[in-house]
Amino acid sequence: MNAMGRLIKAEMKLMVRDPLVLTFVFAFPIVVMLIIGGAFGTKPTPGFDNTNPSHWYVASYLTVTIAAGGLVMLPVHLASYRERGVLRRFTAAGFPRWSFAIAQLVVGLVTVAVAAALLLAVAAPIYGIPTVHSPGRVVAALVLGTIAFLSIGVLLGSLLPSARAAQAVGLLIFFPSFLLGAGGPPPNVMGSIVKAVAGPLPLSQLTDAVRDPWLGIGPANGALIAVAAMAVVATVIAARRAAL
Amino acid sequence: MTDSDVVTVRGLRKAYKGRVVIDGLDLTVRAGEILGLTGANGAGKTTTVECIQGLRRPDSGTLSVLGFDPVTQAARMRPLLGSQLQDSALPDRLRVAEAVELFAGKQARDGGELLDRFGLDERRKSAFSSLSGGERQRLFLVLALLNRPRLVILDELTQGLDPAARRTVWDAIRELHADGTTVLLVTHEMVEADALCDRIVVMRAGRMLDSGTPAALVARHANVATVEFSWPDAPASLLDELGGLDGVRDVKRTGARITVQGSRATIAHVGAVLVRHGSVPADLNVHVPSLDDAMLSLLNGPQVPAQAAPDQARTEEELIGGRR
Repeated sequence: MNAMGRLIKAEMKLMVRDPLVLTFVFAFPIVVMLIIGGAFGTKPTPGFDNTNPSHWYVASYLTVTIAAGGLVMLPVHLASYRERGVLRRFTAAGFPRWSFAIAQLVVGLVTVAVAAALLLAVAAPIYGIPTVHSPGRVVAALVLGTIAFLSIGVLLGSLLPSARAAQAVGLLIFFPSFLLGAGGPPPNVMGSIVKAVAGPLPLSQLTDAVRDPWLGIGPANGALIAVAAMAVVATVIAARRAAL
Repeated sequence: MTDSDVVTVRGLRKAYKGRVVIDGLDLTVRAGEILGLTGANGAGKTTTVECIQGLRRPDSGTLSVLGFDPVTQAARMRPLLGSQLQDSALPDRLRVAEAVELFAGKQARDGGELLDRFGLDERRKSAFSSLSGGERQRLFLVLALLNRPRLVILDELTQGLDPAARRTVWDAIRELHADGTTVLLVTHEMVEADALCDRIVVMRAGRMLDSGTPAALVARHANVATVEFSWPDAPASLLDELGGLDGVRDVKRTGARITVQGSRATIAHVGAVLVRHGSVPADLNVHVPSLDDAMLSLLNGPQVPAQAAPDQARTEEELIGGRR
């Protein structure tokens, strides 16, 4: 196996053993989705763009797994590695320059995919899985959004000086994004100021790009373009920062 | 530079935010030798080896490591190096055997054999975080030797090791040496440097103070042996005789205590005189000049311009893998 393969294999094992990943990326979205998904019933209402509120949250919480991975898991992981000299050891050992960045991307994609699958598996018998109206758009948004948020995570992890700082800043970004952009009240019930703040958030854009075409609310072209732009810009910058 | 030089450093200079850490250093590591790099804290030793490893980009100067430029050809050079870094770690939850698997390239030795040799065989399934300081150091050495490197760079290798583990590591380094592997050893331990190194380079404030074999450094900077003993009613003739011995520089008497200083040969001459006078004092004490003495003499010698310790600046400059 080459260096890249060995690194991906090791990082996969480490990810599974990381309690932060198990609790925050896998368990947290599922638990909160179960609670809030049942809070508004299943009758379509105008506040939820005339869709089933439970389905609204099932679709929305897929993006919470992405945000948890990108804004909390990855920055802490990366900052911890840098702080403790793990990355320098990889560098000195001759791992290829881009191997660590690519390994993180692959591991992040797999982690998010598994977390999303778990979330849907738990939601299916309780709330049902809503019909996907535009599968291509939904998949594109999920993939681009995952790349964008993982890249943002790499950036945070490379800029923040320690694992503690990364955790603090990551959570500080994650929770407002989570409440305003994916897992909190629907935008239609928000006040004008809160709505104005929530709208441009990266997670709001990603959630719109996933949920709207999934539930048949609309194509969300603007949101999809914004997510694609985030993915490109964040990946280019992150790749440079994550090179060994 | 000659064909037998594995590392050549010429005019190396490195500053962190204006603070000079290495100031025009010249250094050569010859093929097959164990070169010790030593000096006071903040002397620039670690920065020097980081530049050699291609982990830091020098401000000026030229480096050649195994024929490669560490700045522009690091990717080709690093697989030929075995590095044990100061202040580095492995992921906490990575197990010992997984670390060996992760770092083993195509030309790797038998990792299991190395683990066994360094007493880590029973810790194969242990997470890195559960290892003691000594076990971590031994694991780092296993990883440094794993890929049959041509040059091994060891930074504070035996720090935290118990005496038995230290001996095991020293034996391993001697075997490397016997196999023709070149070793660059950064150490504060003069006993270690004396026991292992063919040559030693002493640094202070980013410059080389002196270099040579351990014996040559001792001869140049710590050539005073001391013999002390008590003789309550020593006759004046004894003191005269001691003062006239070959190599004796000074004879002092303080009460019953007599101190004789001179070359190493003084020790034998003084012993002979005492035997001839029919008495070998019970409190006879001999101090043979050591590498420690040479280092103290060197490092306490005339000051070169003082420079700030680099540690803080180095931390601030860290990026993901260390700025090159």
